[in-house]
Amino acid sequence: MDWGKVKFFLGEVLRNFTRNAGMQATAIGTVAITIVLLGAFLFVRATLAGLGNDILNQIEISVYFTNDASTHQEDAVRAALSKDPRVASVAFVSKQAGLKELRAETHGVIDTSLLTENPLPDKFRVRVHDPASVQNVALAIRKMSGVANVVYPQTIVARLLQLGSVLRRVGIVVIAVFLLVAGIIISNTIRLTVFARRREISIMQLVGATNMYIRAPFICEGFLDGLIGSVIAIGLLTAARFMLWPKLVLALPWIQLNASTVHAPALVAELILTGAAIGILSSWISVGRHLRT
Amino acid sequence: MISVRNVSLTYPNGVRALDNVSLEIGKGDFVFLVGHSGTGKSSLLRLLYHETVPTSGEITVDGIRVDRLKRGRIPALRRHLGVVFQDYKLLNDKTVWENVAFAMQVTGAHTKDIMRQVPRALDLVGLSHKSRMFPGELSGGEAQRTAIARALVNNPKLLLCDEPTGNLDPSNTTEIMELLLRINVKGTTVVVATHNQAVVDRMRRRVVRLEDGKIVTDEERGYYYLGLGQGQVLSG
Ligand SMILES: Nc1ncnc2c1ncn2[C@@H]1O[C@H](COP(=O)(O)OP(=O)(O)OP(=O)(O)O)[C@@H](O)[C@H]1O
Ligand SMILES: [Mg+2]
Repeated sequence: MDWGKVKFFLGEVLRNFTRNAGMQATAIGTVAITIVLLGAFLFVRATLAGLGNDILNQIEISVYFTNDASTHQEDAVRAALSKDPRVASVAFVSKQAGLKELRAETHGVIDTSLLTENPLPDKFRVRVHDPASVQNVALAIRKMSGVANVVYPQTIVARLLQLGSVLRRVGIVVIAVFLLVAGIIISNTIRLTVFARRREISIMQLVGATNMYIRAPFICEGFLDGLIGSVIAIGLLTAARFMLWPKLVLALPWIQLNASTVHAPALVAELILTGAAIGILSSWISVGRHLRT
Repeated sequence: MISVRNVSLTYPNGVRALDNVSLEIGKGDFVFLVGHSGTGKSSLLRLLYHETVPTSGEITVDGIRVDRLKRGRIPALRRHLGVVFQDYKLLNDKTVWENVAFAMQVTGAHTKDIMRQVPRALDLVGLSHKSRMFPGELSGGEAQRTAIARALVNNPKLLLCDEPTGNLDPSNTTEIMELLLRINVKGTTVVVATHNQAVVDRMRRRVVRLEDGKIVTDEERGYYYLGLGQGQVLSG
């Protein structure tokens, strides 16, 4: 390891970095704003998705048997469902238990004691792992023998699944636009610093510096811009998370907002990587464009 | 070492700086390039290290076809030659020492080699005592000598000097020319574009004369002015 080279390189980076403080501030600020917006967006998206998932995860399929269904048929259905990898759990609710449940749910408004006969059929209560598979599982069960009816909250599932896919698609577009705009601003900023140093760059080229050699300090500069910008952004986001979020939760009591669905360390890592990547990429592009002319 | 064949150069603004120039310079030669201001001396030198490309013709330097050089191969060419630029081209925010060291750093030289060669090059041009100064603090001659030190520091096979004594006093000029001679004796090919009549006339080396972008004479032991001896001056 040639420490002289390392020292020289770091010296160059530091020198460039401190010389154009104003432009660095612009680039860092752009990264910070982008990452704040991106982070807030990802956070809200994760929360909404979590909200949808909470609902979806509680969804169950009720399987009703015909009144003359044999125990044998019911066992066959249960066995088939237990083997199905999509199915999370199968619970049997007998006629009697069903009646008790009904009584509890209606708080005695329906006087079940008037009934001379239990009108409820036997039923299974089925839960699936992935809400997206509810419909297929329900269809499969409907075809089994002895099954009279299969009931699940069809519209809610469909709506929520649709909402999820819309969120994902909109998310990708929004993120792409964010990154593009930030990339353009940063690469223009770095282009200004490249322009300010064009004499130096041309001299470097005249004494035999390779493009990679000329590029390296700029790339490092872009990386630092991205890193510092995203660290600042994360500071701001963290502050917002602890100061504004509780107020928002209070302000919207009818929505069960739950920030715990956001995996904070992963989000932080993603944002920092994104910031650094925009910095590196945009400086790479703007220096490259200069060197090619 | 250098082979220039039927080279013409027309700048984008329409100025025809070189017109069908052909020139051979052997390994270890010492050549003066003379001619009026604006006759294309700098243009010819710039072609040799690929700062400009010829409009037509072939250029070979140290076995490399410079006129057809791919962008990625340019640095390798330039590392093999030292150039003293007419306008020095020093980095203003680096000290004399750093400017000279820089030419080695870009080649990826080891720090210990840099620490050995830079003081030697500065010593050769007599600038050891100014090594911590910045170009802005130097006299014209000192800046010029810094540029020379930078051109020398990599021990190039070919040294191209564009007016290397333009800002030097006579005693400095003599020293620098002697330095160039010593380097030449050690095997480096040296090409010097100059207006300095005294130097050319005293040294009696090969003189290539340009006029309006054409080579008009090429003498083995020539003078600054065609056919004239030392001390004689053309009037008018
Ligand atoms: N970059 C350029 N673009 C356009 N024209 C140029 C350029 N450089 C030089 N010229 C023109 O080319 C001609 C030759 O210029 P050059 O610099 O080669 O002359 P020179 O012999 O080195 O002169 P001097 O002795 O004054 O240094 C001049 O007419 C000049 O105006
Ligand atoms: Mg010139």
